[in-house]
Amino acid sequence: MLAVEVKNIKKTFQSKQATVEAVKDVSFEVRKGEIFGLLGPNGAGKSTTILMLTTLLQVTGGSAKILGYDVSSQDKLVREKIGVALQDTGIDNLLTARELFFTTARLWGYSKEDSINRTNELLELVGLTEASERRVKTYSGGMKRRLDLGLSLVHSPEVLFLDEPTTGLDPGSRRVLWEEIKRLRDGGVTVILTTQYLEEADELADRIAIIDNGLVVAEGTSDELKASIGGDVITFAFDSDSDLKLALNVITEGVQDKNLIRITVEDGARKIPQYVNQLTEKNIEISSVSASKPTLDDVFLKVTGYRLEGSDNKETNVEKVED
Amino acid sequence: MNTKITFLTQLQILTKRLILRVVRRPLAELPNIFISAFFLFVYDGALGGVFGGSAAGTPFDFANGNFVNFILPVSIVSASVSGGASGIYLVEDIESGVFKRYQSMPISKWAIILAPMLVGALRVLIQASLIMIIGKIIGADPAVGSIGFLMVLSIAFLWGMGFAGYSVAAGVRSGSSQGAQAASFLFFPALFLAPTFVPREALRGWLSTASAYNPTTYVIEAMRAIMVEGWLNDVIFKGYLAAGTFAILTLTFAVLSARKATEKA
Repeated sequence: MLAVEVKNIKKTFQSKQATVEAVKDVSFEVRKGEIFGLLGPNGAGKSTTILMLTTLLQVTGGSAKILGYDVSSQDKLVREKIGVALQDTGIDNLLTARELFFTTARLWGYSKEDSINRTNELLELVGLTEASERRVKTYSGGMKRRLDLGLSLVHSPEVLFLDEPTTGLDPGSRRVLWEEIKRLRDGGVTVILTTQYLEEADELADRIAIIDNGLVVAEGTSDELKASIGGDVITFAFDSDSDLKLALNVITEGVQDKNLIRITVEDGARKIPQYVNQLTEKNIEISSVSASKPTLDDVFLKVTGYRLEGSDNKETNVEKVED
Repeated sequence: MNTKITFLTQLQILTKRLILRVVRRPLAELPNIFISAFFLFVYDGALGGVFGGSAAGTPFDFANGNFVNFILPVSIVSASVSGGASGIYLVEDIESGVFKRYQSMPISKWAIILAPMLVGALRVLIQASLIMIIGKIIGADPAVGSIGFLMVLSIAFLWGMGFAGYSVAAGVRSGSSQGAQAASFLFFPALFLAPTFVPREALRGWLSTASAYNPTTYVIEAMRAIMVEGWLNDVIFKGYLAAGTFAILTLTFAVLSARKATEKA
């Protein structure tokens, strides 16, 4: 049985002013015990999709099942099976982590004694035992996220939804959380996470769906997505706008990204001189050129037509040729 | 192992959590208690000399010689507005995302909404009791006997629940703490467009007319009957009726508003 089965779900918000199609058509399947990443920019429809799958939003069209239970007609059963850590973290800052774990365990139906034991287990799991008697308002962002993750695990859910779990965290805290998420996956928990970080999707997710403008525009493992581009990516950089415009007429199949033009070709390193010659013949000044294997960033650019804001242009096998 | 828990257990756990929140912010409780006690001392100090024991045999003798009995209901009504905190507790949970977390769990939404109202009710009882104890210390002595304290407390409780319902509805509809705090803005005109300092017969003009339409009038008059006059059953009944109707109306408003807010979009 699949852990998550989403078929053509849609979400439309209607107000007096306008009708907004937040999710136009999203389908994907998640197998048990895998980390599935929904990658996309703000406003792409990732969080809305998660809210529908966690029964917090009504599905406008299509259907979704979690462990075989329909999110619309069997929402109570779904809620018993899932753990949820949303973007706007729901943590009571006036209570301590120990009190929060205990209260949550009691609400999940654990006896007082079992709640105490579960609290200790989870405090240990998320590394908050030492800080357990402190009020949450004194915690750092990373500690709060770990606490949030722990609270979503109290009832040992089979499927865990994490909405942008590391947004706003420093790299160190982000990596700690990644390790915890991987450990959960290794323990058999299915994880569906949204992210706008390419690196996070690449590092964590067993499979990735790229969402843009309410649609799934690509899906597969990170390697499959990169391989789908084929060949190498040659990147040309230009200092002047006029050179950039002229170059676009020469490299007609290239995709512009700010002051860069990228082109995907087989055997990129060998083809660089050919392109450089064509450009210099037209008196176009190139500030730099490099060839690299495709990254998730390139995949994103190819399928959406733009780069994810804040993504780094991390290239492997960088070969720069100064003009 | 976890098992399903009853609605009442859910309510108990959620209420306990909110009580912990109240205990963690003791300073938030002080202003309302202070204002209520302040009313009692200042009004007794300023007006007790005129309308108290020395007024015996004059047209100003409406306190039957004990002005604390006469003015205590004003402070009790002031204390009961503390029920308005219910909406603030709920909105704080909505704003912080705690409400959404509970919604993602198999918990009754009514337990989530009722818990802040219960804490608001508890707050009313504690604050009104404290004011009553202060009143007793400085000489309050109900005309109907000691049971009068409990009767006044029960009217205050109903009145406070009215404010609790109003604040929950306002908070849920506005989605902000400021909206929930609007309950206190309702309180001041309600308190002073009433026979606050003198009996209704002594009011004149527009204030006399306004007070007749103000339910606070009947709440204060019922409390005064208990404290000053004795068993004026029809006056006492009207007080219970006004407070009870206010509570039922606003709690219904709160429930309808909360139902709308918790419906899936």
